[in-house]
Amino acid sequence: MSAADLIIVGGGPAGVEAALEAEAHGLSVILMDEAPQAGGQVYRAPPRAFSGAIQRQADPIGVRLRDRLSASRVQQFFDHTVWSVSPGFRVDALGPKGPVSYEARAVLAASGAQERVVPFPGWTRPEIVGLAGATIMLKSQGILPGRLTLVAGQGPLLLIVAIGILKAGGRVAAIVDLASRAEWLADWPALASRPDLAVRGLAWRAKLARAGVPILYRHAIRQVEKVGARRVSVTVGPVAANGMPLAAPLRGFEVDAVAVGNGLTASTDITRLLRAEHHFEPLRGGWAPKLDAYYRSSVSGLYVAGDGAGIAGAAAAACDGRLAGLCIAHDLGTVAEAEFRRAAAPLRRDAARARRFGTAMAKLMALRQGQVQAIPPETVLCRCEDITRAELTRAVGDGARSLNQLKAWTRCGMGPCQGRICGDVVGAVLVVEGGTREDVGQFTGRTPFRPLPLDQLAGDLAYADLKLPPPAPL
Amino acid sequence: MIRFFFDGRPIEAYPGESVAAALRAAGILALRRSPREGSPRGSFCWMGLCQECTVVADGVRRPACRLEVAGGMVVSSGAVP
Amino acid sequence: MSELTFDSAVIGAGVMGANVALWLARGGMRTTLIDRGEICREASGVNAGTLTLHMTRAALIPYAMKGRALWLSSQAWLGADVGARSASGFSLAFTEAEEEMLVKRAEARSAMGAPIRIVTPAEARAIEPGINPTIRAAAFCALDGHVTAYLTGRGYRAALLQAGVALHEGHGVEGIGVSDAGYVIRRCGAAPIHARRIVLAGGVWLETMLAWLGQHVSVRCLINQLIVTERMRPVMRSVVGIANGLLSLKQFENGTVLIGGGWQGKGDPIRGGIEPIPDNLIGNIQLARHAIPALGETRVLRIWLGLESETEDAMPMVGPLPGLTEAYVIGCVHSGYTSAPYIGRLLAERILGREPEQPLFDPARLMKPRQEQA
Ligand SMILES: Cc1cc2nc3c(=O)[nH]c(=O)nc-3n(C[C@H](O)[C@H](O)[C@H](O)COP(=O)(O)OP(=O)(O)OC[C@H]3O[C@@H](n4cnc5c(N)ncnc54)[C@H](O)[C@@H]3O)c2cc1C
Ligand SMILES: Cc1cc2nc3c(=O)[nH]c(=O)nc-3n(C[C@H](O)[C@H](O)[C@H](O)COP(=O)(O)OP(=O)(O)OC[C@H]3O[C@@H](n4cnc5c(N)ncnc54)[C@H](O)[C@@H]3O)c2cc1C
Ligand code: FES
Repeated sequence: MSAADLIIVGGGPAGVEAALEAEAHGLSVILMDEAPQAGGQVYRAPPRAFSGAIQRQADPIGVRLRDRLSASRVQQFFDHTVWSVSPGFRVDALGPKGPVSYEARAVLAASGAQERVVPFPGWTRPEIVGLAGATIMLKSQGILPGRLTLVAGQGPLLLIVAIGILKAGGRVAAIVDLASRAEWLADWPALASRPDLAVRGLAWRAKLARAGVPILYRHAIRQVEKVGARRVSVTVGPVAANGMPLAAPLRGFEVDAVAVGNGLTASTDITRLLRAEHHFEPLRGGWAPKLDAYYRSSVSGLYVAGDGAGIAGAAAAACDGRLAGLCIAHDLGTVAEAEFRRAAAPLRRDAARARRFGTAMAKLMALRQGQVQAIPPETVLCRCEDITRAELTRAVGDGARSLNQLKAWTRCGMGPCQGRICGDVVGAVLVVEGGTREDVGQFTGRTPFRPLPLDQLAGDLAYADLKLPPPAPL
Repeated sequence: MIRFFFDGRPIEAYPGESVAAALRAAGILALRRSPREGSPRGSFCWMGLCQECTVVADGVRRPACRLEVAGGMVVSSGAVP
Repeated sequence: MSELTFDSAVIGAGVMGANVALWLARGGMRTTLIDRGEICREASGVNAGTLTLHMTRAALIPYAMKGRALWLSSQAWLGADVGARSASGFSLAFTEAEEEMLVKRAEARSAMGAPIRIVTPAEARAIEPGINPTIRAAAFCALDGHVTAYLTGRGYRAALLQAGVALHEGHGVEGIGVSDAGYVIRRCGAAPIHARRIVLAGGVWLETMLAWLGQHVSVRCLINQLIVTERMRPVMRSVVGIANGLLSLKQFENGTVLIGGGWQGKGDPIRGGIEPIPDNLIGNIQLARHAIPALGETRVLRIWLGLESETEDAMPMVGPLPGLTEAYVIGCVHSGYTSAPYIGRLLAERILGREPEQPLFDPARLMKPRQEQA
């Protein structure tokens, strides 16, 4: 087992910037990511085997990030899925050659965000993909969700996906946005902190208008039904400010794909596993680990940066990552106090500015309780186990109050995704039935962070070589 | 282009692309059925979390969205009988 | 009588406390069941649910057999389906030493009434084709089975409410005072509860609970690891273990396979079971795949740790507490989930003033002299 000062889980902007900063201050750093290359979700690289034309479309920020990382002495383990982090610290991963583990004095969780989708009847159909998922199809795989796609949900990914589809030669039937136009405009002051992005947003809206893509503000999908072999019919209707459906008028669209998403939530596998303290921050995606100004969690030696600390966007993730790298070097004793103060001040200013923009975007992505309240009883909430809202309501009637009791009584969250997809929305549904998000709690964090092929974990071993503990008593 | 097999059917793919992308491009959306309802499921999150895209590739159960195609790869539905 | 005054108060709503409370209420007592969390969220909701005689301590076989029968008929007396299923059970031996242990252990358990017999590899594989063909011998028991442990609380909760038990979830007990009328149960953040009788059923937290009453017993806390796979094709019908007791394997109707065997993780009664030991996890998985090779096809979804209590002599602590009137304890029962419906009922009989059908396990033997106050 090899060791380093710091292991970073996640090679997105937060993880890479932290790695570079920590390494520049003399720490030995291991960076691990399950993806084949650095970049994270936002700068996800196209596969290396893809042609130069597609490579050239990759976001230049991501290309620079990867170049800087390759030029560094950071030890990189891509294609490594981290499945456990034990206190002290030991990090276990499954790589192309089987299980590996590394030890370090500190761990930085930079594992980013995951997508939340508020369920509606028909949302499990294979024509439907997540909105964030659609960005990955477009930028890293070079494929369209379908020939004609309806783009729905909330937040900045709506525009990113619609534009991405048009640029790649696809068609967009409509953008169905939970927010009103006024809500977007309300964020102009924050957008002014990133004029480059504000200008880009305007150009995008102009492009959508030229392409004749209708934008339905304050609308949401009511249901999706299959029609014929290749198409689905999507019913869309107006909603109130809190997301609650309004009676009329309903509109129908026939498309062959739907991309839908209701914002991002922090991926907290590592902090939940290690029992760090969390708090519920509705405007930053929901549950997130509590941190101090040095990115320290309540578990000594465990740090968090990027969207995994609460949604604040890619620019903030990069700034926070750098600062976190510096703070860790400071805590581990390779940066003197005076130098730390000097270096940290400008970084803190950058991070604060970037966060202002990110927070405005995250606000647009916040879950709307009325939409959750209106999920019809027969709708599946837990995709893995096909658990409907009605089953959940019955379990609450039988006395389940917390997410974990609900899980035990219904199997909601027990399937292959382990509640990573449904957990946030099911928590919100429980609140509709009574209690607060704090009462309801979170699913208990456990290993493995991803399903592990049993054969790969067990490896090849003769029975005689198995290390067995002493026998149980008779 | 390279070729792999899904449920016995040959599929063309670009080197480097994921099994999920190649199947979707070939018009194959349903990769498995859900265990209780038996409803068709396909790739959804594209980041290795939801497991809706699980297939059996050369004997190993894996999310198709995080699996790069290889020539001759034998892939079948991840549905459990 | 005030709303918070009872004939009996049971502290700890695991399967032990739930059973005692149920039978006390059905026996006509005004009963409350108190837990700091929700019902059956500790050992009783997260255990492997194996109804096995192969793993039960020989001396407890008669209790386990009764408990198993009660689980299988739970629809009738509990009024709920908690997924109790009868199956056959195997214990396997892969080496000469294991075969010797297998024979010895089977004999000891048969002597206590468990219908266990040694079978040849061919016989074993005829009943359970999934078993690794390299076994040297197997012990077979027709009376095995399993319960879906995570459904325990849901089943008991409904039955308890129907029997009139006042269930108090969500407020921990901090201490117990003795009064003329019995006991005063002080709770954290809620009004005290008064009861003429008390039953301590706190699992691994019994040591702390007993100390409230000035009784000193050491209770060991085991951190048991369990592993569950995703759904897979049917690969086994029986419960499969190994001679040294370090494996328990079963496939549920939904296709998931549960892998246990008492491998240890890290944790304690205060923080819970927090940290699996990766090498123990891999070892447990290697052993499971060796027993049922087809498990190699599936994936591991979740690993968790549950807290099991054990006394110094590894025998149960069930009965009246010495030197106190109408105070009882129940816990530290090896394979306690299997025998809980029976042992819980035995204690309730005793509290209701009837002679239990089988002897209880006197806690007095475990008491230590009072520790000096610092
Ligand atoms: C699917 C998706 C698409 C998005 N698209 C956009 C977009 O187009 N534009 C935009 O501005 N924002 C987008 N966002 C938001 C954006 O991801 C974040 O704001 C930003 O990437 C946060 O950076 P980060 O470094 O915190 O995390 P990320 O960039 O998400 O990086 C986290 C990294 O951790 C790795 N990881 C996580 N868990 C493990 C594990 N157990 N083992 C190994 N590696 C692990 C992941 O593979 C990932 O590379 C998207 C988010 C998601 C989830
Ligand atoms: C992982 C694991 C696997 C197992 N597998 C099997 C098996 O296959 N077969 C088998 O027969 N047995 C098995 N066992 C053993 C079995 O689970 C236990 O013997 C049994 O569940 C113990 O029940 P209990 O009610 O005594 O304890 P618990 O279920 O732990 O209940 C104790 C209760 O006391 C409550 N409590 C604690 N402190 C306070 C307080 N201050 N105030 C109020 N309430 C409090 C707790 O919240 C808890 O609900 C296993 C155990 C574990 C941990
Ligand atoms: S699409 Fe979700 S895991 Fe592949």
